[in-house]
Amino acid sequence: MIKAIKDFMRKLFSGLFSIKNNFKMGFYGPPNSGKTTLANRICKDWTGDELGKTSKIPHETREIQFKEKVEIEYKGNKLTFKLIDTPGISTKIDYEDFMKFGLNEKDAKKRAKEATRGVIESIRWLDDMDMVVVVLDGTKNPYTQVNITIIGNLVARKIPVLIVANKSDQRNFNVKKIEAAFPQYRVVSLSAKFGKNMEEFYENAFALAKQRRSMKKKRKR
Amino acid sequence: MSHQCVRCGKFYEDVSEEILKGCTCGSHFFFFIKKEEMKQIKEEQIKPIDLTLTERKEIEEDIREIIGPDIDLSKPVILDLESIRIKKPGQFEIDLVSLFKRKPLVYRLEDGKYYIDIATTFQLKKNFDEVQPNYNKEETEE
Repeated sequence: MIKAIKDFMRKLFSGLFSIKNNFKMGFYGPPNSGKTTLANRICKDWTGDELGKTSKIPHETREIQFKEKVEIEYKGNKLTFKLIDTPGISTKIDYEDFMKFGLNEKDAKKRAKEATRGVIESIRWLDDMDMVVVVLDGTKNPYTQVNITIIGNLVARKIPVLIVANKSDQRNFNVKKIEAAFPQYRVVSLSAKFGKNMEEFYENAFALAKQRRSMKKKRKR
Repeated sequence: MSHQCVRCGKFYEDVSEEILKGCTCGSHFFFFIKKEEMKQIKEEQIKPIDLTLTERKEIEEDIREIIGPDIDLSKPVILDLESIRIKKPGQFEIDLVSLFKRKPLVYRLEDGKYYIDIATTFQLKKNFDEVQPNYNKEETEE
């Protein structure tokens, strides 16, 4: 009986705290859009550490990477996030593309296999997210199967979404194209590499947390 | 429905004993060939999967690694090529729409014959520390 009460209290309190704080924020998107660079920037801003390695060769992140308890402060309020950096999602992975970056055939094939596993893993983790930041390369065409499929699935699963148009430091950056492709979503332009416009990102991260919280409350009713 | 051995390329009809016991070359991996594809292969409209022995072995290894250690490889493994198509070693085509749909891990087609969805395998692997029924083992034991 005592054990049952203890279990109930533990569940109640853990439930309360999970609603209040510690939001699982996933970074999704196609390869080389800057997911890890953005996650690194946030980690650096608030913890001083980095989360993962970045590279010019696509599919550098091939396994899910985490950073627990990243406390972000915005306008005097504090929220804790668990940052989850995911491997880039693509429809075609070809080792020959990696060889163009100087990898030998053996390493390129290994990378292709791991990248394929990474895509599967990213998709499988989607349901665990409280909110998702879709990181897109603002210099590229946003109308792709990958982008549309990711965003469509997030909507279907009722996961709050924020679109980041990354690489605003580059000359051919065009946020308007992304805004036109996904008009029903909030799009934040930034440069994760140079930490440009991060303030707007944090403002929106808090808005996502608020959205998530109200969704959870509605579900509980 | 027909099947082609991943290692030696031999074709088998759906009810063949070899699919259950393994191919004469010893492999338990089979490509799943759709009825209409098989018809086209027979009519020589399309070429069957044409790979060298080394390439086939590489693909078999890739599949083993992608599926992970949870699958009983002594049982026939019919690959779900709807989700991931391996064209050649190191060349993968991924059907995102199919992967986003949460299919069950193993389809039981008939006695001793299963259709494994690679994607769901990872869901189980991810939750390895949670209490999970040994679904995979149960499904592959006949």
